[in-house]
Amino acid sequence: MVSSMAEGLIYDVKLSSVGPGNAIEPDMVHEPSDMDLAMKLHYLKGIYYFGKQAFEGLTTINIKEPLFILLNDFPVICGRFRRAESGRPYIKCNDCGVRFLEAKCEKTMDEWLEMIKENASLEKYLTPNQIIGPEIAFSPTVLLQYTKFKCGGMSVGLSWAHVLGDAFSAAEFLNLLGKVVAGEKPNRPIKTKSTNSESLLKDMEDPLSVKRAGPVGDNWITVNNSKMEAFSFSVNAAQLSHLQSKISSNATDFSPFEAISAVIWQCVAKIRESEPKVVTICKMMEQNKADGNNQLMSVVKAAYPIVEANPSELAELMKNSAFDQREKIENAIKKDNGVSDLIVYGANLTFVNLEEAKFYEFDYRGEKPVYVSYRVDGVGDEGAVFVLPGPPKNGGMTVMAILPENEVTELKLELKTEWFMD
Amino acid sequence: MLPKYVKLGYRYLVDHILTFLFIPIMAAVSIQILRLGPEEILTIWNSLQFYFFQILCSSFLVTLIATVYFMSKPRSIYLVDYACYKPPITSRVPFSTFMEHSRLILKDNPKSVEFQMRILERSGLGEETSLPPAIHYIPPNPTMEAARGEAEAVIFSAIDSLMQKTRIKPKDIDILIVNCSLFSPTPSLSAMVVNKYRLRSNIKSFNLSGMGCSAGLISIDLARDLLQVHPNSNALVVSTEIITPNYYQGSERAMLLPNCLFRVGSAAILLSNKRGDRNRAKYKLVHVVRTHKGADDKAYKCVYEQEDPQGKVGINLSKDLMIIAGEALKSNITTIGPLVLPASEQLLFLFTLIGRKIFNSKWKPYIPDFKQAFEHFCIHAGGRAVIDELQKNLQLSAEHVEASRMTLHRFGNTSSSSLWYELSYIEAKGRMKKGDRIWQIAFGSGFKCNSAVWKCNRRIKTPTDGPWQDCINRYPVHIPEIVKL
Repeated sequence: MVSSMAEGLIYDVKLSSVGPGNAIEPDMVHEPSDMDLAMKLHYLKGIYYFGKQAFEGLTTINIKEPLFILLNDFPVICGRFRRAESGRPYIKCNDCGVRFLEAKCEKTMDEWLEMIKENASLEKYLTPNQIIGPEIAFSPTVLLQYTKFKCGGMSVGLSWAHVLGDAFSAAEFLNLLGKVVAGEKPNRPIKTKSTNSESLLKDMEDPLSVKRAGPVGDNWITVNNSKMEAFSFSVNAAQLSHLQSKISSNATDFSPFEAISAVIWQCVAKIRESEPKVVTICKMMEQNKADGNNQLMSVVKAAYPIVEANPSELAELMKNSAFDQREKIENAIKKDNGVSDLIVYGANLTFVNLEEAKFYEFDYRGEKPVYVSYRVDGVGDEGAVFVLPGPPKNGGMTVMAILPENEVTELKLELKTEWFMD
Repeated sequence: MLPKYVKLGYRYLVDHILTFLFIPIMAAVSIQILRLGPEEILTIWNSLQFYFFQILCSSFLVTLIATVYFMSKPRSIYLVDYACYKPPITSRVPFSTFMEHSRLILKDNPKSVEFQMRILERSGLGEETSLPPAIHYIPPNPTMEAARGEAEAVIFSAIDSLMQKTRIKPKDIDILIVNCSLFSPTPSLSAMVVNKYRLRSNIKSFNLSGMGCSAGLISIDLARDLLQVHPNSNALVVSTEIITPNYYQGSERAMLLPNCLFRVGSAAILLSNKRGDRNRAKYKLVHVVRTHKGADDKAYKCVYEQEDPQGKVGINLSKDLMIIAGEALKSNITTIGPLVLPASEQLLFLFTLIGRKIFNSKWKPYIPDFKQAFEHFCIHAGGRAVIDELQKNLQLSAEHVEASRMTLHRFGNTSSSSLWYELSYIEAKGRMKKGDRIWQIAFGSGFKCNSAVWKCNRRIKTPTDGPWQDCINRYPVHIPEIVKL
């Protein structure tokens, strides 16, 4: 349950729980939507790095108290999964709460940030790594880890089961925490019923964007054929505009996400034996409610070899020729009433657009995070790439790529030589 | 119908027998005097020769008797006010969290986890009880520092609240008694209070430890005795139980029970024998009756602190607990009955007793109707079984035991301070009226059964502060036999 710590790098780990301060009304239940259940094998892991001032002078109880207040408005997060008689999972809102870990790191934050440039997988020690299972009724869906660095800085590590919501809703949860710390009252209407799309469309085959996994039973994690490794790099503002201008053709301007994704798609195609002709794109919908799984999921099919293509063609495909997959995904779940297990991220090479995510709006006592990193655990074998905003003062983007470990070095090399990144 | 009125008539007759005898006699005397006529009365009056010396001696005698009477009368002890600790929301422990932690801590003993779940389902506790911060950890982290931290938080908070209510200054406190059964550091908790509030150097301080859940009333008894000896004084009594160092870390079932029931709580009470407090005090102490069954081996061992086979220390509750509690209660009632019951009930009890001895021992023993003697009952919220047993034995209605059940639900078993949470409930519901009599009953290891009888001294406005302030409107709640977890 608690990940083994690399030889004392992270030490003094303490485990407890934080729940809502007030009792919930009894017998409250939340039914996850079909889209929610499609994402249940994925876990969002976010790490927010704060400087010394944010948490200076605070005791553990001081840190826990705003969570007790905030969680009054998040009964779903505080609940635990059960299975209905049909086998479909639902959440019993029983006030159980989120798991709370306290840890210390023997490095200063600056040393740590240097270390993860070489080895991004070290970041897994800053987030709790418990999955939902083997007993889903006793597994928390959200876990928080507060790690104190030698210099006094603090990292807030969030483990967020994707079945609860997308990265935008995870960011919203922490942003609201910041508001509670500042003394504001979170005014969140509590909804327990998710909206599902209309009735089952018969005889639809599985969409391209998903892959059937398992069955994993009550161990909600993807089983990979190859070990996945994460690596991240930042693209600063200058590099970004250079990249965009290189890629932009005639009249079309491409967003940073499209530009970066096109480039990476081509690099991955170069290093893989069989080119990834189909990729999945996930991005925020126009009016993202930051509550639940509301991403736009689409696939892009390339009809020609990727390696020889012009990256602007690839970017063009991503921008304009994506097929919306949401209904099909929901249908795949509806077919057997949510019992089966699907993989979305990594079923094909997946690109997730988190440009608009409000990660840097998490304000703790007037301090914003110096750096935010997000990754996903449970990505399938084809890999996934996440494009997040970089630290505001740099103005660029952070890219987190999760790929089979044997591809990582080659990709890093490819990106360096072709695109002067990294 | 008829027996009811017969009983009512009997009650009025016997309870007011003196009045019933007095009135006819007075009537007869007045009629005699009136028949005599005014001149004859004057003649009788003049015939009584009054010598100065006789008048002086008589008045001296009267003054002497009056003085002896007033001097030897025990001082009236008043409860000026009291305050209970309200735990912060960060200490809250819902059932689901308790069970999840239990599964993680006792992962090698699923039977023990199952046992705890069954206890919790039937315990009568609610979802808002509190445990101290150290016990929230997986596994719990009971250091001495954490225990002291809990003691400081609960005791100082209650005392601060009491000082604000009574407007008493620390320098005015003459006697300090702190009772906490299972945590007894050096320096003592009473020394901790003296240090924090800078109490006087000639304070009479006492620290009672090891005396169980009934120690609260033992402290009140001690305070009363001290206030008889020291005139014009007041006494601060603090009752609490510190959970942190006593959370059982093993897996023996009989010893896991306290973990499921004991919760954080404390109360601070100000007693006084000063004339000036007579009008502002809330309650007057009428009786304290203490019964100790320790002479019986089974009673002595029924709540026993010991090490389990793995060497972990915990409190073992024997299966005979309820039977022994019943016997201790009977003992206590036998002593307190004559002190508080009206004459009608005592006579009935006497007749039934004589009847059973002489005529027919198959007669059911008469259980005096204590509802005649008291308006309110505060039964220590030791557990659902205790309250059920007492309700049955004393033939009390659901409303009489409501304060106890609701305190168990909202705060759990807070040990010696639970009686004060219950009293606070009755006040918060606006049910306390001037002249009401209250019976507090506490049970504790030993095995002891202690009672205190109070009388409400003045009109009590429904309080706007106190531990029930934010939730009293939700109470009473229906507590199901078994809560489905």
